[in-house]
Amino acid sequence: MIAYRLARLAVVLLVVTFLSYVLLNLLPGDPTTQMLGLSATEEARAELRRQLGLDQPLLVRYGAWLGGLLSGDFGTSPITRVPVAEELVERLPVTLELLVAAEVLALGLAVPAGVAAARRAGRALDQALTALGFALLSTPVFVVGVLLILLFAVTWRVLPATGWTPLSVDVGWNLTSVLLPAVTLGCAQMAVYARLLRTDLIATLQEDYITLARARGLSPRRILWRHALRPSAISLVTAVGLNLGALIGGTVIVETLFGLPGVGRLIVDSIFSRDYLTVQGCVVLISVGYVLVNFAVDLVYAAVDPRIRRA
Amino acid sequence: MLRRLGPAFWIGSAWIAVVLAAGLLADVLPMPRYDETLAGPPQAGPSAAHPLGTDGLGRDVLSRVVHGSRVSLGVGVGAVLLGLLVGAPLGVLAGYRRRAADAVIMAGTDIALAFPALVFALAVVAFAGASLRNVLIVLGVLGAPAWTRLIRGATLSVAQREFVLAARALGARDRRILWREIVPNVTMPAASYAFIGMAVAVVAEGGLAFLGLSVQAPTPTWGGLINEGRAIMENAPHLVLAPSVVMFLTVLSFNLVGDRLRALTAVRESGLEPVRRAAPASLPTAPHAAGDVLLQVADLRTHFVAPHGTVKAVDGVSLTLERGRTLAVVGESGSGKSMLIRSILGLLPAGQVLRGGKVYLEGEDLTAYPPERMRRVLGTRLAAVFQDPMTALNPVRRIGTQLAEPLRVHRGMSRRQARAEAARLLASVGIPDPARTLRRYPHELSGGMRQRVTIAMALSCGPDVLFADEPTTALDVTIQDQVLRLVHRLRGERDMAVLLVSHDLSVVAEWADEVVVMYAGRVVERGPTAEVLERTRMPYTEALLQAVPKLTDPPHRRLRVITGRPPDLAALPSGCAFHPRCPHADPRCATETPPLIPASDPPPAAGPPAAGPPAAGPPADGTPPAHQPPPAADGPPSAVTPSSPAEPRPLAAAVPPSSTAPEHLYACWHPRGAGTAITEGAESHGR
Amino acid sequence: MAGSGTAHLRPAEQVVLRVADLVVAFPAGRGREVRAVSGVSFDVARGETLGIVGESGCGKSSAARALMQLPPPRAGSVRLDGVELTALRGEELRRTRRRLQMVFQDPISSLNPRRRIRDIVAEGTRVWGLGDSRVDEMLEAVGLDPKTAAVRRPHEFSGGQCQRVSIARALVPEPEVLICDEPVSALDVSVQAQILGLLEDLKHRYRLTLVFIAHDLAVVKNVSDRILVMYLGKVCELAPSTVLVDHPAHPYTRALLSAIPRSGLDLPPSDHLITGEPPSPVTPPTGCRFRTRCPKAAPRCESEEPAMRAIDDDHWVACHFPEQGEE
Repeated sequence: MIAYRLARLAVVLLVVTFLSYVLLNLLPGDPTTQMLGLSATEEARAELRRQLGLDQPLLVRYGAWLGGLLSGDFGTSPITRVPVAEELVERLPVTLELLVAAEVLALGLAVPAGVAAARRAGRALDQALTALGFALLSTPVFVVGVLLILLFAVTWRVLPATGWTPLSVDVGWNLTSVLLPAVTLGCAQMAVYARLLRTDLIATLQEDYITLARARGLSPRRILWRHALRPSAISLVTAVGLNLGALIGGTVIVETLFGLPGVGRLIVDSIFSRDYLTVQGCVVLISVGYVLVNFAVDLVYAAVDPRIRRA
Repeated sequence: MLRRLGPAFWIGSAWIAVVLAAGLLADVLPMPRYDETLAGPPQAGPSAAHPLGTDGLGRDVLSRVVHGSRVSLGVGVGAVLLGLLVGAPLGVLAGYRRRAADAVIMAGTDIALAFPALVFALAVVAFAGASLRNVLIVLGVLGAPAWTRLIRGATLSVAQREFVLAARALGARDRRILWREIVPNVTMPAASYAFIGMAVAVVAEGGLAFLGLSVQAPTPTWGGLINEGRAIMENAPHLVLAPSVVMFLTVLSFNLVGDRLRALTAVRESGLEPVRRAAPASLPTAPHAAGDVLLQVADLRTHFVAPHGTVKAVDGVSLTLERGRTLAVVGESGSGKSMLIRSILGLLPAGQVLRGGKVYLEGEDLTAYPPERMRRVLGTRLAAVFQDPMTALNPVRRIGTQLAEPLRVHRGMSRRQARAEAARLLASVGIPDPARTLRRYPHELSGGMRQRVTIAMALSCGPDVLFADEPTTALDVTIQDQVLRLVHRLRGERDMAVLLVSHDLSVVAEWADEVVVMYAGRVVERGPTAEVLERTRMPYTEALLQAVPKLTDPPHRRLRVITGRPPDLAALPSGCAFHPRCPHADPRCATETPPLIPASDPPPAAGPPAAGPPAAGPPADGTPPAHQPPPAADGPPSAVTPSSPAEPRPLAAAVPPSSTAPEHLYACWHPRGAGTAITEGAESHGR
Repeated sequence: MAGSGTAHLRPAEQVVLRVADLVVAFPAGRGREVRAVSGVSFDVARGETLGIVGESGCGKSSAARALMQLPPPRAGSVRLDGVELTALRGEELRRTRRRLQMVFQDPISSLNPRRRIRDIVAEGTRVWGLGDSRVDEMLEAVGLDPKTAAVRRPHEFSGGQCQRVSIARALVPEPEVLICDEPVSALDVSVQAQILGLLEDLKHRYRLTLVFIAHDLAVVKNVSDRILVMYLGKVCELAPSTVLVDHPAHPYTRALLSAIPRSGLDLPPSDHLITGEPPSPVTPPTGCRFRTRCPKAAPRCESEEPAMRAIDDDHWVACHFPEQGEE
């Protein structure tokens, strides 16, 4: 079973890298223009193309690139002259920390909120949380970010608007610099998670086995946390996996907005500079991340719901 | 249906309409052009001339926001329609055709979803040019795999329903089935997803614009406006706030509209509408005496306040139960028999419930107990088993954990003690290899085994009364027999009382000492099983007995047909609730609710002489009744009843509390004669 | 009971529907498969009602759907008036559908919630190009008012009424054989009697041949001329209704009958007869499939699968040691 899944995973990655490589290369726009400027002669461009290997057929270039990829060589950016792998290794921790912080914040707030809302479904607290959820869900990430900067950095001046202190340099400053971006990124996720959990919990609470747990004289708190929460978590776990794509999209904006030196920022910068190789490297990184996270989600499923283990 | 959408839907739709209209009419609306510099003082706040102020170049912000809506809504609506156009047919195909088509399409969407969509959106727009068309196409195409998945899911849930099978059995061609059976059922969920998708697309376009990768200046876009305003938000926050608020309201509106549409279709969500709770009201309880019995239920009432009226699920039920006896509650669906159990145990759903009546356990009034105290009674003295063993156990917890829990909570056992006791309990309900079963999950056991586990769980703390709600309805007949034998044996071993709810009269005849027949939330006949089944008085009980096919009857024998259908509990017929379906009904039945009358007493007097049934005779001289029969809701009982000089002893509420030999009681003005009813009815009422 | 064999089939000219060695299989994950129906044979004479009875998982519903070719069975033969349905594909198969119709168990799920009752019933006329008058006739025949049916949708009807609609829909294309898969098991007792009476009336009025599938022996006996008992994908016993109930020969049939409380039959108490639960259809027992629960099981039952054989006139049983000739 595991072997089958791993094989499937490899196929998905292969197809994704191939398609992205081809698509990126088919898009109009020429890196030599970026590198040499508009005034360069046609000969100079041809020479540069030859140096970069761009005169080779597409499939050959893909094959060479893929071969390098397997040995950890993502190629060297013709624009910045920095190896792509090096760039990625340097920037990945920033993005990972941002993603993890955002998910932890979102889940940490969503679970109690969802449980509280489901427990008192239809009452004032539930209605307030539902309204708040809708508001958060409907606020685009860059609007949240701008508003937070406006409040915390511009008006109250308690947190920095931009900049990044790595964890290795100073933990306190690192947390300060990650707080606003993580909240920005996590807001909408929190709303999604809380809503999913609430819906599923309410459905679970109407199940026979919950009524029977009440008939056994167990306390509402025990029923809620020990009996109802776990069977209600399936949608939540799925969403954590599936939303990763949206979250990565969010990092691009958040890192740009808050000036964080992460992978998202790298994507934007290399797209603006027509740096295909770097973009391609980011694509690989993100696809691998997405596939691995969903692989992990499947494992978590089995832990959450024993019925799935058989399948 | 439109009313069920609620105000949020209409407010959301109205806002979308306003933004849409403003965007379409932007050029003819009386405001400065979006690119007219120095239309007012630069960076000025809101004023009468410029309701949303001006930007750094003195351009009118309102005009820019209104023009920006063209891009936002154009991309939002356009991308969703494009995505649906590409994705929906594939989804319908995958969901309807299954097999190879499904496998190929789903593998495709798997890959597409692993594709970093946003990176591509950025790259394509950056390299191919940020025109409205390009942004729309990119967002539309990138959204298509998600649409395929959603539509496939919706199609799949419809395609497996039996009406699709029926259409194929009729010989309808695939195309006809798709258009007539599948598509109409997929449209609603698709529409709700479409609105939510538009919210997503508007945000995505905003994100591109914010990064400077959507439609380029000078054409304004919302995301672009927010990005521009960011640089000077310290001095002119309105430049950020104005487009932000408009964008927020628009996205919120799309989300609300989509959510309300989904609530209309999604079964799972439909029960979750916010309920406005009134103070928990209570209904009056008729006077009664608390007796010296194990369990006494007195005038129990449970009414639900529903949109279409008050549903009287349980309406004045009284019964008593002694140790070592089995009482069966019989009735068809909607008779209130299951709700009776939940009402006795206090396990009613939250919401607008009206309750009345008392439940006494050895003379203690349980309805007066606070929740904490009631919980100590539940599980230790009262225990329950439900109909469906598939849903009665928590699917994600091991049998051992579930079984040990009440032992640890109520009997304070250690983990090890509880485990040993759990294994002993499993053995006592006839489960082979208890130690292994403890480590299993419910789905690994068969239905019969699961029901044994739920029985073991119910018995774990040695209850005095076991409530069994249709415990074998979901089981096969050979397993049903095993389970009922088990319950009977355990009742003897543990000196319990059993309250068995069932619709199956043969089960009741075999296993119950006493029977309570319910119809429309009320008791219509009760007494010792043999008495009730063999000397049936109430026409409903009689009809029910005759409607069941018997193995000893020859094939093709006509069954007694009860015409009509069970009443709507929110709009009960006046008088006797059975009268519209009763062949013996007369005007009195429609106006006066009959009380419970002892079968040993002479039958009640006739109503108006015109409609005297054959069984009715003049009553013996009246022993003074304890209560008058409750007046009928909308009849003038005093005008009808005086013809009968004395009513028979009515017992609707005043149940003799300590009768060891329960009396045979019935609620009918025209009871069937003892002994003759069953055979006579079969001939005269068969079709 | 692993009854196999086709000895109990009647000559082809006497029957309208003839099923031989039917096999229905589903994938059960991990490359395994469940043989829900494993070599079942039966036939139905014109105007006859055949009852098929068995507990959940015995394959009776799978067999019904295989008769309808929804989907076609893995193996075996289904002949309707001599036409081999399993050999037909596409348009040819579609054209035979008129003659074989089905009523399903779940009255709610069998009706499209988005269509009006009248349109649901009229579907057959539109598919087959029949006149609209047939729709009103059938609605009236099942006791529904054509006027209300024109405007109402399924959710406005009760379970019993929905089942009437299903029956009307199935009868519109003038079928010869009507297959009823547990048509009353979702209904209350009083409504069940209505539907059983209705089926009986319609059978005579439209000269139908009925295959009536249910788990309740008393219900099956009430409507059937002959009864087929199934267990774990095989046939156990086949006999005229009265004979089957009064003189059950197969130990499983006897167990089934004696498990019914207060049946009024003279049978030994069931706890001596049957214990345990049905084995998994993925890994059925060798030989006779009932042997794991059978009080009479002997070594021969393990090694040799019993074939259907006659123990009396038109009384067939698949058992090595049938109960015989008490009365």
